[in-house]
Amino acid sequence: MGRYVIRRLLQALPLLFAISVVSFAILKFTPGGPLSAYEGNPDFTETDRVRLEKAFGLDQPLPVQYVNWVGSFLRLDWGYSYSSHQPVLGLIGERLPNTIYLMGTVFLVVLLLAIPIGIFTATKQYSFTDHLITGATFAFLSTPTFWLGLLLIIVFGLQLRWLPLGGMATPGEEFDLADRARHLILPVMTLSLVQVGGHVRFLRASMLETIGQDFMRTARAKGLSERILVLRHAFKNAAIPLVTIVALDLPELFVGALVTEQIFGWPGMGRLFWDAATRSDYPVLQGILAVSSTLIVLSNLAADVLYGYLDPRIRYS
Amino acid sequence: MRRTVLVILGVFSIVAAACGQQPTGGAATKAPAATETPVKGGTAIVAIWQEPSTLAAHYANQTVTDIVNNGVIEGLAETTTDNEYVPNLATKVPTLANGGVVVKGTKLDVTWELKPGIKWSDGQPLTSADIKYTWEIWMKDPKVNNRTGFSEIESIDITNETTAVVHYKSLYAPYPLNFSSLMPKHLLEKEADISKTDYVRRPLGTGPFKVTEFKAGDSITLEKNPNYRGAPDKPYLDKVVFKSVPTSEVALAQLKAGEVHAMWNITESQTPEIERESSLALQIVPGPSVERIELNTAQNRENTDPSSIHPVLGDIEMRKALLYATPKQQLIDKLLFAKAKPGSSPVSQGWAAFKEPQEGYDQAKANATLDKAGWAKGPDGIRSKGGTRASLTYTTTSGNQLRERVQQVLVDEWKAVGVEVKIQNAPSSVVLSGSCPGKDPRKLGTFDMLMYASSPGIDPHSTIFPRYHSRNIPTAADCSGQNYTRIKDPNIDKAIDEAGATLDQDKRKAAYATAMKRLNEAYVIIWLYDRADIDGRSQKLGGWTANTWQRFTWNVEDWFLKK
Repeated sequence: MGRYVIRRLLQALPLLFAISVVSFAILKFTPGGPLSAYEGNPDFTETDRVRLEKAFGLDQPLPVQYVNWVGSFLRLDWGYSYSSHQPVLGLIGERLPNTIYLMGTVFLVVLLLAIPIGIFTATKQYSFTDHLITGATFAFLSTPTFWLGLLLIIVFGLQLRWLPLGGMATPGEEFDLADRARHLILPVMTLSLVQVGGHVRFLRASMLETIGQDFMRTARAKGLSERILVLRHAFKNAAIPLVTIVALDLPELFVGALVTEQIFGWPGMGRLFWDAATRSDYPVLQGILAVSSTLIVLSNLAADVLYGYLDPRIRYS
Repeated sequence: MRRTVLVILGVFSIVAAACGQQPTGGAATKAPAATETPVKGGTAIVAIWQEPSTLAAHYANQTVTDIVNNGVIEGLAETTTDNEYVPNLATKVPTLANGGVVVKGTKLDVTWELKPGIKWSDGQPLTSADIKYTWEIWMKDPKVNNRTGFSEIESIDITNETTAVVHYKSLYAPYPLNFSSLMPKHLLEKEADISKTDYVRRPLGTGPFKVTEFKAGDSITLEKNPNYRGAPDKPYLDKVVFKSVPTSEVALAQLKAGEVHAMWNITESQTPEIERESSLALQIVPGPSVERIELNTAQNRENTDPSSIHPVLGDIEMRKALLYATPKQQLIDKLLFAKAKPGSSPVSQGWAAFKEPQEGYDQAKANATLDKAGWAKGPDGIRSKGGTRASLTYTTTSGNQLRERVQQVLVDEWKAVGVEVKIQNAPSSVVLSGSCPGKDPRKLGTFDMLMYASSPGIDPHSTIFPRYHSRNIPTAADCSGQNYTRIKDPNIDKAIDEAGATLDQDKRKAAYATAMKRLNEAYVIIWLYDRADIDGRSQKLGGWTANTWQRFTWNVEDWFLKK
């Protein structure tokens, strides 16, 4: 197993290298570029452009720019934003807690909803409630977050005026837990409603498969109560694939939700990426892309390892 | 991602429409702020839908930075809404008349005197050394946005604690606003790289407020500056919070919901929504921005030869006809909710404004002009002359709803007079990239007609000289010019040169007028409309005054919240 993990990690290196080259190239060949924002300014001259290109290292040939970037990235100096001149690590550092706060809450809410709903719909297969819940989760699963988020804003924010329209807290006020919670409700609702559907359907399918197995019949024949049967025997086995799905969700804790954060004005990683993208702020984009691709590769590995740990029938080769 | 943005915007306009339906009585009007008694205290919240990436004035490249800094950073002089320069930190604006300005041949000496006793918000005194330091840092720091004005300075002499003499190497006419953001020497002189200091988020100024908190992506909080020279009377507010919101649609929704007190840059199509709400007020200020369509007189090809002639637009009669067939007023009434004025020149505001209108909409005249010039209609209704079909491309920034609707109207109007026009849009990051490597069609000459807006400063030279002097036609060798129509007119050149060689405002005004008149007689630009700056606020917020040349927070020290 240890050898397996090491081999997978080594395999990940060329993959990450390829991702970094491709993302670097995509950014560089996007029309516009980081200095295009200056054009609206009538005082900005060609001399200024040349000077800034030099200051940002944009005058270097592309391969040199790439090598410089990789070199400093590995030394944990991720460069400075072109527009705010802040260190990229610092920019990520100030947004990351906000994103973990939002996405972590979503993560918990989704699990707390998906597990009981998944178990319930599987045990009551084809009942009216099953149809209702499965239908509803399917509907939410197919709903784009930008639409659902706006709908919730219209209903709860603008019409009913129960909840704030966006942001993390009421500006200009002292820290207040209740105020924080009120700001959290709509974005968490948006993301959870959309995400819970996938997990419910997954768990339901997995539960149904388990319930139909021979050992379940044996357990039932032993006279075990339905409760123990479902929770201890069926759920434990059915949850194994869910673990891997959850592991694959982990990078989102870091990356955040691009569209939802934008709609709700949430100062997280998603908005940082969005703002950086609209400004062609390459160092920031590169930093976020590098970290998120690394996390995705690692969480894939983690999912595979966990799966084998939980299900001894799986052998690594 | 662009599509997502569009959808978001689209849905938001539906939201906005849905929420605007409550019938409300009072119409939004400009409130007479001066007659109200100011109330002290309170926190005003202003929605900003761009996040200032830096607050350091010498790096900044965003309108929103000015909006925040208006409460924090001050300069020697500023512009009032009646287009005058007024002193801010200086005792007076130096002029030829008051002896503060001395012309020495082609050079200029300007003497600035600071008001006594002014302190930075950290309590340190403001001195004339800060003036000199501001120039030095602008010239030294490699990351500054631009060095306009500062690069014209030869040296600065510090006469005493409060007096500095600025020696310009040229007759730099916009000198009054050169030092509009002073930087603190005592704080920054030891720093090797200001961009890596806390100054970029918490700049030190002399203004009514100081930045106490900068939460990226969330909010910026300003609190009263106890060392402000207007204290303890002003500012009236205790705090101003700039709250970051994702788009102007969200800002509008929050303004209506009462979550914020003010927002800036409302589009014309959003105005009816605010006018319906009795709790809100609009402030419509004529702005310097002019939307125009520039016609390329040289051939439409990459790195075009400025002396080449466009097969269709090279004919002045064709250019005249396009202007006659442009219904400016109709566009303004239908698409801009009558919140703009027909354009007449690149300079619509200020002492150099040129308001002689272009000929109005007249389809019959357009047809007659083209008939007379030999552009005959073919069987498909499109004209041609000597085998050249009157077919043109029309470029603007893609994704801009207003511009795309204007295009639709004009394509139909021009087709009605026998000119075929094809829309060929590109993202603003390309169309307005302003660089040859960035493939800006204006720089390369790869366009027939191009629609965009530009806003001159109160001194029009930096608009008129680079855009209409024949020396500034961009070429492959020197891409820096902005004469995109490729107009070469010795009379325009002469007038611009004359205006640049004197400080006499009357002479300059006359010379610019000559240049702009000649420009319009060449029919190379259709001035569509002069846009207004529209800001919105809650009726609770008082003390608000319009200013064409500064953003709405320019007098934030006078703002107050009614009980």
